[in-house]
Amino acid sequence: MSFAFKIGASALALTVAATSAFAEIDAAWWKAAAEPYQGVTIRGVTESSPPSLYIREVLAPEFEALTGIRVDVETTSWDQMFDKAIKDMEAGTGIYDMAYIEQDIIYSYLSRDFLTDLTQFLADNPDLKAGTYDESNFTTFADYFKDDAGHLYGVPMEAFLKVYLYRTDLFNDPDIQAAFKEKTGRDLAPATTHAEYAEIAQFFTDYGNENDMDLWGTTAQAHTGHVASWYEYFESVAPTFGVYNWGIDADNNYGASVENGGEMNSPEAVEAMEWWLSMRDIAPPESPASTWTEVGTTFGAGRAAQGLVYGENAGWIAADETKSLVVGKVGVALPPLKDGILEEVEGGTGYIGYYDGGAFGMPHSSKNKEATALFLQYIGQNEVQPDWAVAAPRVTNTATYDDPKVQEMNTKLSGYYDLIKDKGYLFAGAPAYPFHAQVREATAPVFYQILTGDLGVQEGLDQMAATAETTLTELGYRK
Amino acid sequence: MQSKTLGWILLAPTLLILFFFGVLPFIYVVFVSFHQWNPFAVDPEMVFNGADNFRQIVFDPAFLNSIGVTVLFVLFAVVSELILGYVLAQAFMRDFPGKAIFRTIHTLPLIMAPIIVGSVWKLMTTPSIGIIPKFLDDWFGITMNIATSAPAAFATVVIMDIWHWTPLVTLTLIAALVSLPSDPFEQAQIDGANKRQIFWHITLPMIAPAVVATVFIRLMDALRTVDEVWMLTGGGPGSATRFVGVHIFKEVFPKTNYGYGSTISVVVLYLTIVACWLLYVTMLAPRSKKD
Amino acid sequence: MKKQSPIIGIVFWSLVSVLTLFPIYWLFVISVKPAVQLFSTPELILSDPYWGNYAKVWGDRLLRSYMLNSVIISTGNAVLCTVLGFFACYALSRFNMSGKESIFFWTITNRMAPPAVFLLPLFLLMTQVYAVGDWNLLDTRIGMILVYCTFNLPFAIWTLRPTLDGIPKELDEAAYVDGASAWKVITEIVFPLCRPGLAVTLILTWVFAWNEYLLAATLTNFNARTLTTGLSEYVTSTGTEWGIMATISVFTLIPALIVFGLVQKHIVAGLTFGAVKG
Repeated sequence: MSFAFKIGASALALTVAATSAFAEIDAAWWKAAAEPYQGVTIRGVTESSPPSLYIREVLAPEFEALTGIRVDVETTSWDQMFDKAIKDMEAGTGIYDMAYIEQDIIYSYLSRDFLTDLTQFLADNPDLKAGTYDESNFTTFADYFKDDAGHLYGVPMEAFLKVYLYRTDLFNDPDIQAAFKEKTGRDLAPATTHAEYAEIAQFFTDYGNENDMDLWGTTAQAHTGHVASWYEYFESVAPTFGVYNWGIDADNNYGASVENGGEMNSPEAVEAMEWWLSMRDIAPPESPASTWTEVGTTFGAGRAAQGLVYGENAGWIAADETKSLVVGKVGVALPPLKDGILEEVEGGTGYIGYYDGGAFGMPHSSKNKEATALFLQYIGQNEVQPDWAVAAPRVTNTATYDDPKVQEMNTKLSGYYDLIKDKGYLFAGAPAYPFHAQVREATAPVFYQILTGDLGVQEGLDQMAATAETTLTELGYRK
Repeated sequence: MQSKTLGWILLAPTLLILFFFGVLPFIYVVFVSFHQWNPFAVDPEMVFNGADNFRQIVFDPAFLNSIGVTVLFVLFAVVSELILGYVLAQAFMRDFPGKAIFRTIHTLPLIMAPIIVGSVWKLMTTPSIGIIPKFLDDWFGITMNIATSAPAAFATVVIMDIWHWTPLVTLTLIAALVSLPSDPFEQAQIDGANKRQIFWHITLPMIAPAVVATVFIRLMDALRTVDEVWMLTGGGPGSATRFVGVHIFKEVFPKTNYGYGSTISVVVLYLTIVACWLLYVTMLAPRSKKD
Repeated sequence: MKKQSPIIGIVFWSLVSVLTLFPIYWLFVISVKPAVQLFSTPELILSDPYWGNYAKVWGDRLLRSYMLNSVIISTGNAVLCTVLGFFACYALSRFNMSGKESIFFWTITNRMAPPAVFLLPLFLLMTQVYAVGDWNLLDTRIGMILVYCTFNLPFAIWTLRPTLDGIPKELDEAAYVDGASAWKVITEIVFPLCRPGLAVTLILTWVFAWNEYLLAATLTNFNARTLTTGLSEYVTSTGTEWGIMATISVFTLIPALIVFGLVQKHIVAGLTFGAVKG
């Protein structure tokens, strides 16, 4: 029953397990290819996350044993990681040979030409190209790290969906089902529309209240001073009402306000915000202080009956007994949608939620590109994926889905991997904006004021749209 | 007496280090503050824009708001710390059993890193789960939510700062009180002065330099506060605790607005220096002139 | 002074101590809770402590190297600042140099700078200017020791100045008349007299350096990371590991506590901060 999230403790066991992969990996080739780079140390910076820790604790030592190339990985917090990578690449210092590229920052990095074109690099250095590495092995998530010519700039190392989680133990409880039916006239089942979701949320919040339980009907990632709330609204709520790409129209001179062709303050955006705020109001009291991590903890502590939760957290919530009280009681589904959105998305417009993740790229400023290219190929091979996926639920290669170990995990996670595989195309990463963090930070203070009630929803969104346009003008994107 | 050369030699290492790690970066920041520079703008290079940033800052509501809340924060925190520190220092002037132990306990918060202080207070005040809101609710029926109530968040930050830094004030004031000569007090008592008169006319003037120096250190540290608030509220709810330190951090780090962020820093630094200089010349300088 | 019942003092201080100790106690409580209990209803009294976090932190090779870095950097910085601050204050106090009061005030302005924006120039200077060949100051212990001087050296100068001013000049003059060298006067006559002030300066600069986070987080990568930056590694994408963070925090408290306890009595004697001497 031991679940391998505790990387540190289980690293040893995994290393032993992973050695089986060597059978398929052509050890002789790696040794030969790495021969000129003996004694080289390559260095990377990444966000502290289970997949990154797996690289540091398992893949890096394994690679060093195989090739003699040492890999140091600095893991740090999300905001520090960006700052350090950007400073290094901006100044061309060459501290890092690898940098974690979150999907939402790739456009900023590409716009500044910070990263090495990996496809080109391997084409130029055929001696370094491993037989077991192939870009076509990756899932479609890798497309986010490609330029217009289809060249890859980062080896995907994690990919998740922000999914709708619900408590199967509550949803399947006959007494609760009867009470729900009596109250609403409907059968209790995971919501497909916002109205259904709201009804269920209200029901469970009341239920918790009446029975003196610490239980609420929904989570809300609604921090009043951290951008997590901004993300929940723009990535996960607004799209389900048909507002995509933050309501900014890139093809229309980056207009954000309805007046200028955008949708940031459209009636749909207002509807989305009002619905989301009404959900926040019946969510647990810690919600206004919750970032993505607290939402996971809230759900894992059994305080919410349903909610939108990042896939990184879905894994441990559903399966790690050392952190979660709801192991084996979690179901996964698609987020609730407004009528017509699913058809719209199937038709190729928009998306219903966030496909998030990251890759490892190689800055131009790296001084050890050859050795780094070897390591990046190493972590991109199909052969190392299954154990990695079990230790830190993420899938980046298509073949990984079919591995028996991953299939077993899939069952534990109530079909989460199937959902990524079959429905992943309905989700999307952050819009292709090189000004991602800049516009986010400029509009976030106004956004917080909507959350605190200092600004009305319409008024607040109007101000946000205006601020976004001003910032885009200052940055030179909007003419 | 001695040649001044020796004085300069003794001072040289200090001046050199501060020049290379304080002055040079400062010159760079001043230089950048006259430019528009965001590495993720269409034009990622530094573009000279004269005094535009400085003109903009005067009408920037976000900046003015952050200055406003910072001044309030510094006022509440530092004044409370002074009063509390003085009361505690006076209390330590008396002898009672276990004094040394109590004094050690009282200095403990000082040794905690701001980032740790922020974390602990965050966990203690998490709405509905933290121990403080829970017991306020259980015992008094008071709902405390630092994520939705601006006054609650502000008060928590102030209380956290008082908790963390009052010991420093206490220690300095104890030192000042200990070194006071006893003659003026005896004389005043003979002359029939009451307690209040003694405080205002004898104690306060004599400990004034210590008070000012303490206010100095606290003032500039409070103005630079980032770690604790960052951990506790992130500047929220809204902008209720977005102090200049946090504001600059958000401007420079995630927003990569290096040009304008530098301008804000230069202005804040200037305001701090002016405030401290005024304090210095009015309270401390007359003494050093006398020497 | 007035006589008072000792009971009042004890009751008063017990009350103050409870308030002072509570957050520290709570830090400890968090450190002995498994992650799964974190969002459960808090209990005031600790029951059934869980020591897993301590085992994990103690066994972490990286954290041990961070601890060593922290000790070296804060000790190195505290000693450097105290010694240089002492020399500087001796100069400011004894020599009639032009503009010395302005220099004195200027030193403290270095502590006023909002740190966030100074990180970029420091980063650039350390990687590109303060470099010899392939070696540069970034991510080195000596680099951090020097950077920390920007806030600790001014502090040292401001705490030591009144101490130096308080030592009568006649003492050194008498020694000079007896034919002592300047070095001898400074090290053998003035220095011992300043001991309490130096102790306080040493300990407070040490604590400031020990607790610094932002500069260390930005200006170190692999080799010179300190314990406070180690904390940020536990703010992960899948949850902040509060238990581990609290445990590391408890570990950071221990050396600070030892150092602080050792020089406790010097502190009061040394913190004279410009108080009027009788």
